[in-house]
Amino acid sequence: MASTEGILRAGVRVAPRRGLPPWLLIAPTLLLLTVFFVVPYVNMVRMSLLVKPAIGAYEPEFTLANYARALLDPFHWRVMYRTFSLAGVTTALTLVVAYPVAYHLTYAPRRRQRWLLMLLISPLLVSLVVRGFAWMILLGRVGLVNLTVQRLTGHELVLIGTPAAIVIGLVHVYVPFMALAIAGALQNIPPELIQAARSLGASPWAAFRRVVWPLSLPGVQAGTLLVFVLAVSSYVIPILLGASNVLVMPMLIVQTLLDAFNWPLGSALSMVFFGLTAGVVAVYLRLLARGMPWTRA
Amino acid sequence: MSSITLRGLTKRFGAVAAVQNLNLEIQEGELVTLLGPSGCGKTTTLRLIAGLEVPDAGEVLFSGRPVTALPPERRNVGIVFQSYALFPHMTVWQNVAFGLEMRRESARLIRDRVGAILDRVQLRGLGDRYPHQLSGGQQQRVALARALVMNPAVLLLDEPLANLDARLREDMRFYIRQLQREVGITTVYVTHDQAEAMVLADRIAIMRDGRLQQIGPPEEIYRRPSSAWVAEFVGLSNFIPGRVAGRENGLLVVRTAAGTFTCAGQAEAGADVLICVRPEALRFDDTYPNRLRGTVRERVYLGNLVDYRVEAPGGLQLRVQADPSWAVAPGGTVNLSFDPSAAWAVDAREG
Amino acid sequence: MDARMTRRGTWLAILVTAVYVFLIAPMAIVVLAALNAGDYLAFPPQGLSLRWFIRAAHTEPFVRSFLFSLKLAAWVTVASTLLGTAAALYVVRHSARFRNLLRLAILAPLQLPAILTGIALLIFFLATGIGTRGMRALFIGHTLVSLPYVFLTVSAVLAGFDRSLEEAARSLGAGPFTTFRRVTLPLIKGGVISGALFAFITSFDQFPVSLLLVSVGNTTLPIQLFDYLRFSFDPAAAAVSTVSVLMSVAIVLIVDRLVGLQAVSWGAQ
Repeated sequence: MASTEGILRAGVRVAPRRGLPPWLLIAPTLLLLTVFFVVPYVNMVRMSLLVKPAIGAYEPEFTLANYARALLDPFHWRVMYRTFSLAGVTTALTLVVAYPVAYHLTYAPRRRQRWLLMLLISPLLVSLVVRGFAWMILLGRVGLVNLTVQRLTGHELVLIGTPAAIVIGLVHVYVPFMALAIAGALQNIPPELIQAARSLGASPWAAFRRVVWPLSLPGVQAGTLLVFVLAVSSYVIPILLGASNVLVMPMLIVQTLLDAFNWPLGSALSMVFFGLTAGVVAVYLRLLARGMPWTRA
Repeated sequence: MSSITLRGLTKRFGAVAAVQNLNLEIQEGELVTLLGPSGCGKTTTLRLIAGLEVPDAGEVLFSGRPVTALPPERRNVGIVFQSYALFPHMTVWQNVAFGLEMRRESARLIRDRVGAILDRVQLRGLGDRYPHQLSGGQQQRVALARALVMNPAVLLLDEPLANLDARLREDMRFYIRQLQREVGITTVYVTHDQAEAMVLADRIAIMRDGRLQQIGPPEEIYRRPSSAWVAEFVGLSNFIPGRVAGRENGLLVVRTAAGTFTCAGQAEAGADVLICVRPEALRFDDTYPNRLRGTVRERVYLGNLVDYRVEAPGGLQLRVQADPSWAVAPGGTVNLSFDPSAAWAVDAREG
Repeated sequence: MDARMTRRGTWLAILVTAVYVFLIAPMAIVVLAALNAGDYLAFPPQGLSLRWFIRAAHTEPFVRSFLFSLKLAAWVTVASTLLGTAAALYVVRHSARFRNLLRLAILAPLQLPAILTGIALLIFFLATGIGTRGMRALFIGHTLVSLPYVFLTVSAVLAGFDRSLEEAARSLGAGPFTTFRRVTLPLIKGGVISGALFAFITSFDQFPVSLLLVSVGNTTLPIQLFDYLRFSFDPAAAAVSTVSVLMSVAIVLIVDRLVGLQAVSWGAQ
């Protein structure tokens, strides 16, 4: 009696003893993550506390000197400031450019949406180097921008080597990310809400300001965060478009590791920099949550 | 308060005509339900009245004034959506106050009006809650409050009770009816639920495939349906096919395979008709002049009624509903009769 | 809706078109530059020719790194697809308690800056003596950052999957493996393949992780291109870039045909 009941209750969902245990599915991935992701990061923390000898990459001796150097050298702070401000400007510009694209995409008819998505996603699949290269062509001396400006005004406008070029390149790379994040949130807004607002006397602009924009904030949050973190850690675009005139933290860190062969300092700089980034993100999230009281209630 | 006039209203979506040449007059203060199966155009009609859709032809007038060219925010309509469409990021208070803010009313006026309407729908004290913290019935009332606080010319409801469970739906029906009578606002109410339409409406407008089939008070629709389809859509019906032989004492005389019957109707002599007899109009005795004999095939006990299937001459399969006190067993032969004035002849051709 | 809305709609369309041009134009320019018949990287191009493609095809570093990237990407794709699909199956179906934690863990390589991961891996590999010779280090690094894509696409497909199909198969006598092979797999195929394609292109185009883990003689194409661009600036680089762009376009078209881009974009949210 008990066994029949047991079988009936268990139904077909229970795997018979013949099958493999489910955790085997996740084991290799977890192994990979633990050994080759968690451990290296922990190791990097350890590395940041070790001594850098005259010859060789590191010595197994503990010290706080690396952090002292990372935090006390004003040069580092200048580079960090430059990196954060570039990333901030990039994020803001990307938001401004991407929001209309996301809005247009969300409310486009199904068929057109497909093509728009293709246009939006294909740049994402092109290598960063190629995209940086494309902007090198456009913004360089023999580039379209310079040639056009020369023809119109007789002056030169070579943007390569300026922070502006880096911002342009980064915005170009990140608009699709931001647009997709915002569009995702816009998609979740039921059209009836906009219709209700209109029927209550709201003009299209008022309906956007009071209904669509607030409800798209989760997407804006996700997008700005993503872009900011990506921008702060970008390496290729700043190197290619900054042409050694502009130094950002990732470049400095790689230099410290590979050129100066100073692993401890490089690790410490990484910890400090990305720790700061995480801090900025946390503050940003806290501020945004305050602006969205309905998500906490 | 406005009356609503729809003239020659047509709306197409691609190749499909959702609404075709619709003509409708709704008086000030009355509640008209648009009733019909899905796809009949009732929601599209509502949206045309609201200004959420632009018609391909025809016009919409409020108290004689054409509003067809006006966008929704200029028509002064109050809409209650099926999903309520409450702004999830605003409190109950802010939701209800929204329309008044769009009108740039003074803070004092907003405070007074919102407070008053929340009292009226019995939601005072919940003003600081967010929609997701309310029950379905409460959200429903917020939606009503938000629409009514604007003193709109017209109130439009799109299947507002569809998301509530059966019990709550019944309670809310009466509530809405009462509220509408108190406020006296011209109301258009879309539903596919026939019982709901009967309870709420001053008049029911039945639609099918974008066209108006019949409009009239619930009793008229039920007792005098304009076609077999309408008869079947609003309640159950038996149909006895026959031909009109003539008129006698104001009633039609119709010859059928089961006998010659008299009934009410407007057909001409020689016309093919279907006599529409409701299941509850058939009695198991000889009281009325229209008599038949039949064999009981099935009997289902429903509590307050018993439902029978009876086979009658001419291949007729009749559905009879009677009080349980009639002890009729399956298999037996029975006498049936029905009152001529309770039977109505409709055109046999599908209209 | 009314005339005012249409006017606003037109402004929006113009603005958005400008943005799309901004997004696509640079790639188009690279392709045009590669077809330049002239000697220098100039714009507008002076005539069309395939000479730079031929030149690139004869440049040994490009060819070698191209083949290396292909081989690496192939291995990474296989590993990512197997691990990612298995992980998705587990997380979506078996992990009630730890679901969010597992998701976070698997997606972590995408959340943390790739360059940081590359740095951590480099230090780790060198410190533990595994070293960066051969394909080992690159393989592991690429798999870490490609696997999450397979996980995401397969999870999205699994989320909408009707379990009762499997239950029906089981009730008809099919064992768990057979059910997986004959019922589950064909239905999630779309998610698996698009995930695999994303993994492939992520590995092929990968830069930050590769930057730190390449060794002499084992360079990926993006790194090779990058090194080349530091010192030269000619259409051969454009030709190589064009190949990359064409690959991406092909992948986008295939994924769209298979599962529809809408499913992938919204599903991954």
